[in-house]
Amino acid sequence: MSCKICSRPIKEKGYCSLHLKAYQNIYEKFGVWEKALEVSWMDYLVKISKNSLTGEWAKEVVEHLIEDESRNVKEK
Amino acid sequence: MIISEKPDAANRIAAALDDNGKTMRETDNGVPFFAAKNGDKEIIVASALGHLYTVAGVNKGEWDYPVFGYQWLPRWMVEKSASKIRIWLKVLSKLAESAEDFVDACDYDVEGSIIGYSILKYACRGREKLAKRMKYSTLTREELRDSFSNLLPHLDFELVESGLARHEVDWLYGINLSRALTLAVRNSSGMYATLSTGRVQGPTLKYLEIREKNIRVFVPTPFWSITAKISIDDHMFDLEYEKKTIETKAEAGGIIAACKGKDGKVVKIDVKEFHQNPPVPFDLGTLQSEAYKFFKHTPIQTSKIAQHLYVNTLISYPRTSSQKLPPVIGYNAILKKLSQSMLYQKVAQKLLAQATLKPNEGSKFDPAHPAIYPTGNLPEKVLDTSEKNIYDLIVRRFFAVFGEPAIKQSIKVSVDINQYLFFMTGYRTLKECWMEYYKPYVYSKDISLPLLFEGQRVAIEKVLLRNSFTKPPVRYNPRSLLKKMEREEIGTKATRAMTIQTLYARKYLEGEQNMTITDLGFEVAEVLRNYCPSVVSSEMTRRLEEKMEQIQLKHETKQNVLVDAVETLKKVTLTLKHNQSEIGAQLGQKIKQAHHDKQTIGNCPKCQTGKLITIRSKKTSKRFVGCTNFFEGTCITSFPLPQTGSIKPLAAPCKACSYPVIKVLINQKQPWNLCLNANCPSKVQKK
Ligand SMILES: [Zn+2]
Repeated sequence: MSCKICSRPIKEKGYCSLHLKAYQNIYEKFGVWEKALEVSWMDYLVKISKNSLTGEWAKEVVEHLIEDESRNVKEK
Repeated sequence: MIISEKPDAANRIAAALDDNGKTMRETDNGVPFFAAKNGDKEIIVASALGHLYTVAGVNKGEWDYPVFGYQWLPRWMVEKSASKIRIWLKVLSKLAESAEDFVDACDYDVEGSIIGYSILKYACRGREKLAKRMKYSTLTREELRDSFSNLLPHLDFELVESGLARHEVDWLYGINLSRALTLAVRNSSGMYATLSTGRVQGPTLKYLEIREKNIRVFVPTPFWSITAKISIDDHMFDLEYEKKTIETKAEAGGIIAACKGKDGKVVKIDVKEFHQNPPVPFDLGTLQSEAYKFFKHTPIQTSKIAQHLYVNTLISYPRTSSQKLPPVIGYNAILKKLSQSMLYQKVAQKLLAQATLKPNEGSKFDPAHPAIYPTGNLPEKVLDTSEKNIYDLIVRRFFAVFGEPAIKQSIKVSVDINQYLFFMTGYRTLKECWMEYYKPYVYSKDISLPLLFEGQRVAIEKVLLRNSFTKPPVRYNPRSLLKKMEREEIGTKATRAMTIQTLYARKYLEGEQNMTITDLGFEVAEVLRNYCPSVVSSEMTRRLEEKMEQIQLKHETKQNVLVDAVETLKKVTLTLKHNQSEIGAQLGQKIKQAHHDKQTIGNCPKCQTGKLITIRSKKTSKRFVGCTNFFEGTCITSFPLPQTGSIKPLAAPCKACSYPVIKVLINQKQPWNLCLNANCPSKVQKK
């Protein structure tokens, strides 16, 4: 089985070791954003996806998470 | 017979030793050597051409690993490009036959010592134990003559042993690891690609990989800062809020609200005087670093230019790690000579008038050479711009290290605005001292403040809120990567810049100022980290470096170091062999992908069957995108491309016209997406 985003082998949560690190970073930094701006998870994802300082792999994971999130909303 | 490292140095040495200052240049089969007369001695000064001998495998036939058998051979037997050396060695052997005494005058460092040693041993038939050694740090006539009349009784065998150990260990690492990677790819995918890594290359690649990872997984976080603007005598000044970063928007908003429309009161003015010491003398690393800062020369360029200045007797030996300038170099004499130049007259005379001359030495020491300094000789020929720059930098640095510490003053003004504290800080240079001598390579960053007194009320014009984001780590540039290697103590001053160059040559690295590891480099680093962590560990590499240094002090033997290296490599190669197929698959895929990414942009939107690929025109050497069916004669679709930067095809086609889209990456610029279609509706709208 390979990573949801690239062709590397899965390490955890459906991500390879590199995208996993990006994923963990995204989760970790949400706390800071939430406190700073009182944003929701989805708003946060959109904000960092548009930020030019966000790293390439982090962006790939964010885009994936946004898709997941909007699919969930539709299903509800 | 005197043996020097390069022909131009041989010429200098012959001219210096000849009593009349004249040399007879002779050649044999195109190989130059120089004759001189010194008292009753007839001298021949011949030279090497850098390394004439190299480490090579004993067993030539089988291309496999591990390999541990090696020998020292003339380079022409190993490298096709070194055929010239065959005749060179023949001539040296012939000259040696009629010589009575031998003197090794190669550069006094590890590399130079090996060059001299192997010529004496192999080309001069075992004269290495009888030869004497010339030691000098400049090619000036005085120093060379002095060195010749005070020859060291024998070669520095510890230095030689340590150097031989380094070459042999590096060869063992290089050949085994590179073969392991190359064979893994070949055996698993049938692809032939030369992959290489080495003892110093591995850890260096790892630094780049870690940095790149941190950039790619980076998630910025917001913060705020507050500036209050005050106006005094029609001049605006900025006051910074005491907390440089405010974590929440709510807190920042609260402060802004509280300060708006309020006056400020100067509560404290803090004046401090402090000293700023002069810089330390140049070792090669510091020179390379400053040359990059001011002229953007890469470390290798600086090294070459400095070598040239050295051969022209303008500066002392540049491949030094010393930051010391011992009095024997003769500070006064050098300054007197430099004062002959209009350019340096003023500063040199000022220094000569000082009661004492004491350089501000740094901590680094080199047993073989002092720090880099100007000999005092002025250029005989016109130097080109980059030579002039480096020479000037070295001269002014030499001046600066003798200067008194500069005296500076900092003024910190604290202003209270509705119980919130703001600051502004100014700097003033009271006495320039050494800074005057080092200009234009230093400038006083003075920031002047208005005249204020404690208790004074100031009108606040504006209070501004700034929203910023944390920044990802910056990519390495040649200067910072070299510094990192120095800090980690891997490689030597003579080899570090070459190691970086090799990473470019292997296509593991791209971008000059903004060093970016390529996907292939990334994968190689991953493989090494996963399967042989000891090879890329700074710790292990440094320990090995230390051991090789210890040989010079007789605390360690070459034999021990090599046995250790072989033991390590035995384990490492076993693991690599065991995991050959995984490694091969991982690397092979990236090589394929790299090749593919470079070529294919997407499907041809016109003929639908061809693929769009990047092509370089043979006529204009410009690149463009063309359809593969052009070669079949059925499609002439083509698109222009930006001529600079790298190009990555994007998976998704243009939303407006469904033509392929590429991402253009130009150094230090924000990457941008470009639809290939010149008449794309999205572009027309913009017009
Ligand atoms: Zn992945």
